[in-house]
Amino acid sequence: MAMVVDYKHDSSFPYWTSIRRRFDPDSPFFSSGNLERELLAKQVALDLTEDERNQLEKMIDNDARGVFCPIVGCGARLTSLEDFEDHYIARHTASCSVCSRVYPTSRLLSIHVSEAHDSFFQAKVARGYAMYECLVEGCDLKFKNYKGRQQHLVDKHKFPTSFEFFNKAHPSKKKRLKNQQKRRMHKKDEEASSKMEVENETIDGLVSAVSKLSTSDSSPSNISFGRRNARGLTFVPRSIHAPREKK
Amino acid sequence: MADDSLASHRRDPIKSSVGNVAAQRRRQNAATVGKERRESLVRAKRLCRVGATGEGDVLVEENHMMTDEEGFLLEDQTSSAVKELKSAVVYQGKGAMQKRVNALRELRRLLSKSEFPPVEAALKAGAIPLLVQCLSFGSPDEQLLEAAWCLTNIAAGKPEETKALLPALPLLIAHLGEKSSLPVAEQCAWALGNVAGEGEELRKVLLSQGALPPLARMVLPNKGSTVRTAAWALSNLIKGPDPKAATELIKVDGVLDAILRHLRKSDEELATEVAWVVVYLSALSNFATGVLVKSDALQPLVERLATSNSLQLLIPVLRSLGNLVAGDSHTTSTVLIPGHEITDGVIKVLVKCLKSDHRVLKKEASWVLSNIAAGSIEHKQLIYSSEAVPLLLRLLSTAPFDIRKEVAYVLGNLCVAPATGEGKPDLIKENLVSLVQRGCLSGFIDLVRSADIEAARLGLQFTELVLRGMPNGDGPKLVEQEDGIDAMERYQFHENEDLRNMANGLVDKYFGEDYGVNE
Repeated sequence: MAMVVDYKHDSSFPYWTSIRRRFDPDSPFFSSGNLERELLAKQVALDLTEDERNQLEKMIDNDARGVFCPIVGCGARLTSLEDFEDHYIARHTASCSVCSRVYPTSRLLSIHVSEAHDSFFQAKVARGYAMYECLVEGCDLKFKNYKGRQQHLVDKHKFPTSFEFFNKAHPSKKKRLKNQQKRRMHKKDEEASSKMEVENETIDGLVSAVSKLSTSDSSPSNISFGRRNARGLTFVPRSIHAPREKK
Repeated sequence: MADDSLASHRRDPIKSSVGNVAAQRRRQNAATVGKERRESLVRAKRLCRVGATGEGDVLVEENHMMTDEEGFLLEDQTSSAVKELKSAVVYQGKGAMQKRVNALRELRRLLSKSEFPPVEAALKAGAIPLLVQCLSFGSPDEQLLEAAWCLTNIAAGKPEETKALLPALPLLIAHLGEKSSLPVAEQCAWALGNVAGEGEELRKVLLSQGALPPLARMVLPNKGSTVRTAAWALSNLIKGPDPKAATELIKVDGVLDAILRHLRKSDEELATEVAWVVVYLSALSNFATGVLVKSDALQPLVERLATSNSLQLLIPVLRSLGNLVAGDSHTTSTVLIPGHEITDGVIKVLVKCLKSDHRVLKKEASWVLSNIAAGSIEHKQLIYSSEAVPLLLRLLSTAPFDIRKEVAYVLGNLCVAPATGEGKPDLIKENLVSLVQRGCLSGFIDLVRSADIEAARLGLQFTELVLRGMPNGDGPKLVEQEDGIDAMERYQFHENEDLRNMANGLVDKYFGEDYGVNE
């Protein structure tokens, strides 16, 4: 079906419904209680450390064995859910050393750097090359202008229409007003405004943080999930410094 | 110290020049022992260290980590004991019975010594066929008892070892009969409980061999260790996943009565095992659930929750209550009617569980509350106006993850009217506004940030309620204040498409281009 779902009508949002939930006796939901039963019956419950308990839980409950990071292309194994936030902050908030914007993958950070801080990039754009690459790994399409890519993201990859690649932080009210004006002015413009004007663009999240998982990281390169192929950084603009590590 | 035959064989060579190798082996041993120990801890099987009649080697050290030497010695002794048993079984002359009992007793002692009895050695030496022979009809009680005890401990360990009991099963079941002496019946029940605890296949075998009816009859008396052991064995036997056994059990004459009686009056240890039977009855069999609810089983469950402080008892009782509420809509609609005494009682004991220190109790009590909160508007108001809400709000910000998820279900259910099947459910605005004012939003936004799909979904769904339902269009502002936009934006590169769409949809609808412009 070629229909584009219009998210503004959120007809597909799964609203909260209050329903009864029942579990089978061997459901993972009950596994900690089951474990407690056996430990108490053997009278060892009090002798165990927190660590030993976790080990025991892992034996009986597959879910307790840890979860994988759900950010596309990451695949890192998290020892517990509590660890995820730290992991996210450490690995998915890659910041640009030039302008401090934050992105969830190194690929996106590098795309940002090209588009926002690289004059060679701009030069090529000016000559009509299709330089704006699709932000979805594996898609590989390129566009001649920012708007074109933006439209592609919304149409093909169902990105929100309000998505903006540039800023990770949501703009303050003042900035929002400024953007409003700008957008009204540029409505007729096919080309995106000068790419060197970093301040005015508000691209949320998507490409904004070419991930922290940059090549200077000592950890191995990304493993991507599913059908997407892993891609190393194919083009590292000269303006990239060693990205700041956020621990 | 009793039974120091091991100690007298202890030699010093361990400290000699081979010390290093021995130390290394001990370390390896410790790692395997660690793994073996962990496996034995989580099993639903129980080793018999003290027999039905009270005898047994109670003075043996707990957690005694055997050296290799001691291990080999024990294995040797076991092989010899089995050999001895073999000749005793064959022997027909004077004093044959005593000889047999002595040999059995020796083997039984070796199999009851430590946490890890020399089962492999016993099996290798051919213990099973001999023990089966010792179970033959007409054998003296002492012989039956010792043989069943040996089999109990052989079956208490690894899967292959438990499966080795197959040839003995028909006889063990036969000795459950009312003609058997109580200690014998109990010891056989114990052995069968271990077999049933192994897995679905063995449970099927036991059921097909008719283990259920005699075992069920053993819980009819008012008290005794036999009743307790039989109840435990039954809980292992009916745990499914096939619900047939559970349904069959509740139909056995006198069982329902006995269950209710034990829940009401028996001591905590016995009530605990019976409660686990109820757990499986209510989780697996709709028929049993209906019967239990109609017979007012909720009352003694609530009573126990109110009066007991034993975690061992509280866990299965709470879960039984939870299963009865979850499994049958009648429970909430016809028994737990708001305003009735039983309903107030249920809320009270659930609040007591929320206040406890125990993780399992807090989590499962929240689950039960969430199901009651999934009932009528009156049910929601009942919970909303109870002591539960302040506790839940605190748990939402401070408790471990699995508890927070259940708490989220309760709070969300309180804000949403019962589904009518048409379009999106109506909000209960007063509840939503009040809960948000009391600070629950940040807890839900935290769930949005979680790596757990279910939790993230809950967080996003509640965020939608806030965005949609807060008066004066306050929703988006409040969500932004709690870094909700940031949390939702993380989904742009999340691998789960549903969550991506949910988050993107909300951001688009409520934080689009026009957000914040007209202030």
